[in-house]
Amino acid sequence: MIAGLGLLVGVVLGLVLQPAVPVWLEPYLPIAVVAALDAVFGALRAFLDGIFDDKVFVVSFISNVLIAALIVYLGDKLGVGGQLSTGVIVVLGIRIFSNVAAIRRHIFHA
Amino acid sequence: MATTDPPLRSVIGLLDHITATSLDEDYAQASERAAAGGRRPERRPGTGSLAILALFGILVVTAAVQTARTADQSANSHDDLVAQINERKAALAHQRDQIGSLHRAIDDMRASYAEASAQGRAVQNKLTRLGLAAGASPARGPGIKVTVDDAAHATAKQQVLDKDLQKLVNGLWEAGAEAVAINDQRITNLTAIRGAGESITVNYASLKRPYVVSAIGNPDRLGARFLDTAGGQTWVALHLSFGLRFDITPEESMKLPAAPHLALHYAVPRRPAQANTKETLR
Repeated sequence: MIAGLGLLVGVVLGLVLQPAVPVWLEPYLPIAVVAALDAVFGALRAFLDGIFDDKVFVVSFISNVLIAALIVYLGDKLGVGGQLSTGVIVVLGIRIFSNVAAIRRHIFHA
Repeated sequence: MATTDPPLRSVIGLLDHITATSLDEDYAQASERAAAGGRRPERRPGTGSLAILALFGILVVTAAVQTARTADQSANSHDDLVAQINERKAALAHQRDQIGSLHRAIDDMRASYAEASAQGRAVQNKLTRLGLAAGASPARGPGIKVTVDDAAHATAKQQVLDKDLQKLVNGLWEAGAEAVAINDQRITNLTAIRGAGESITVNYASLKRPYVVSAIGNPDRLGARFLDTAGGQTWVALHLSFGLRFDITPEESMKLPAAPHLALHYAVPRRPAQANTKETLR
């Protein structure tokens, strides 16, 4: 309930404000979104597992986003930004898939 | 919290490890800790989650908006470039037209100015004559057309060379031609006819076969006199012994264009104080 509300508020805020992303931040935005997605699905799974914790969610979300952006930033500085982005996306993608699979098992019992 | 099992990552592969720990262990640990501490675990999302989810929403929407905007921009910039190119092309064509019309205007004004006085008329006549001889102005009149070409199924020896064209043109001058052009490239006293690789260039423009040499002069006598010159003789020989094409046809009226990029190399105008028109052009 409160989660849906928060999401809704965020989407509406984003649509209304349409914040301008600084150019230097632009390359990190997509990977930050993927990392955030991972944190959100992890939280949803934890919620369904009955072990959700507010603080853990906040910390894992922020650290996920920051670390993903940091890795890409580091990769850019080292000249392997593309490859590192791919690596991050693969790992996060696998996590998202298995979390979604667990969520699916919770919801559909299948 | 502390497990006696060896860490998972040491017993399974990396990908399996990622799959197995796809849920952050922190949730389980926090839950255990809360249970051990005896406090009721917060199982419901609280204000922190609310804020973070709002942040997540903003992030996703911003990324989507940004991507859409960037796509728009690149499409726009492509269209912009195409539009700019067309615009510049049109501007260029317009300016070329302007150059042409300004040139014509200059010629007209010079003619009308010169014709205003007897002296001016003399100068104008002289200008016309000199312009024709120098190839600076287009020429029109009767004359002959000499069409030459490689022999059919030409071997290396049966091709027209730059030297042959040079002899041809020199022969025409000798025979009394007043203006000469090869394939509409006007020949002036500064024109080079030379071979460049496979083709022959005149006025730095490559010629295509066949070579049509137009010469303005007396159409009845020019052809005959040309055949008497050294150049004409050479070409008769080339025609007979190598089979090169060599046709002379009289023409009632021909138009030869002016030579491109005629420039003065050394001459500069005298200062007006010292000069009067008569002296400058004499």
